[in-house]
Amino acid sequence: MELEENSPKQNYTEAEKQTIFHGEFMPHINSMYNFAYRLTLDADDAKDLLQDTYLKAYRFIESFQKGTNAKAWLFRILKNSFINDYRKKSKEPSKVDYQEVESYYNSEEVDRQITPDLRVEALKDMIGDEISNALNALDVDFRTVIILCDLEGFKYEEMAKILDIPIGTVRSRLHRARNLLKEKLSEYAKQMGYKTA
Amino acid sequence: MSNPDPSKMKQDCPEKNECLKMLQLILDGEATSEQKDHFLKNHLEECMPCYKNYHLEVAIRQLLKTKCCQDAPQELVDDIKTKVINNLAR
Ligand SMILES: [Zn+2]
Ligand SMILES: [Zn+2]
Repeated sequence: MELEENSPKQNYTEAEKQTIFHGEFMPHINSMYNFAYRLTLDADDAKDLLQDTYLKAYRFIESFQKGTNAKAWLFRILKNSFINDYRKKSKEPSKVDYQEVESYYNSEEVDRQITPDLRVEALKDMIGDEISNALNALDVDFRTVIILCDLEGFKYEEMAKILDIPIGTVRSRLHRARNLLKEKLSEYAKQMGYKTA
Repeated sequence: MSNPDPSKMKQDCPEKNECLKMLQLILDGEATSEQKDHFLKNHLEECMPCYKNYHLEVAIRQLLKTKCCQDAPQELVDDIKTKVINNLAR
């Protein structure tokens, strides 16, 4: 999982490197692109981020142990590159804002307030970009956990490693994220004429 | 899960939010088999709010999967491969 420090360096021949790159890294390129796109919300940035990540992965290939979880390893590199190279220059809210947001959404009070009344029938009519827009509208940290869990099927433990946060935080952040997503979706449902009880 | 009889179901759940958290654990594949059995076999069929929540959670996940995944442009994939191969040559 580690990119630089504390991982035993492997010694690969050039042929082995190629095999790993093509056999273990490239199969995740579509998931990785989608992650890059959902983080940056910009096709050009996503392209650069994906390219940087894959070149970095190749450069640090000896920190990767053959046959281990390549997808999680790659996702972690991409997420770190995003934070270091893209998040700074984008208009995303700063870390401070985010912590306020998170502590707000971690209060039990909000759980009681947010009980989005959303019906399955309304979802069935969302055949356009509604869900995609709703997802993109979430704060990037909430968006990220939904992508990792619901789109990519990572386990909580893997998510904790990718994001460098405790498992408990993964669980609570995911719960808040889903409430927020439902909130957005019920706004769309309302616009579509579904009444909320 | 079978189709429960709505008239025999509770219309209110005293622990709706805790139940929702459990439901998400189950759908995320993070619950123990005991938690799963208890919730899916006992609770869900007799509790209307949780039964609805279950179907909502499932539907949102399906919608996300069908609407929020896009493949990398082939040109970009080829580009990355080429760059790495050139890297190898150096
Ligand atoms: Zn219930
Ligand atoms: Zn319950």
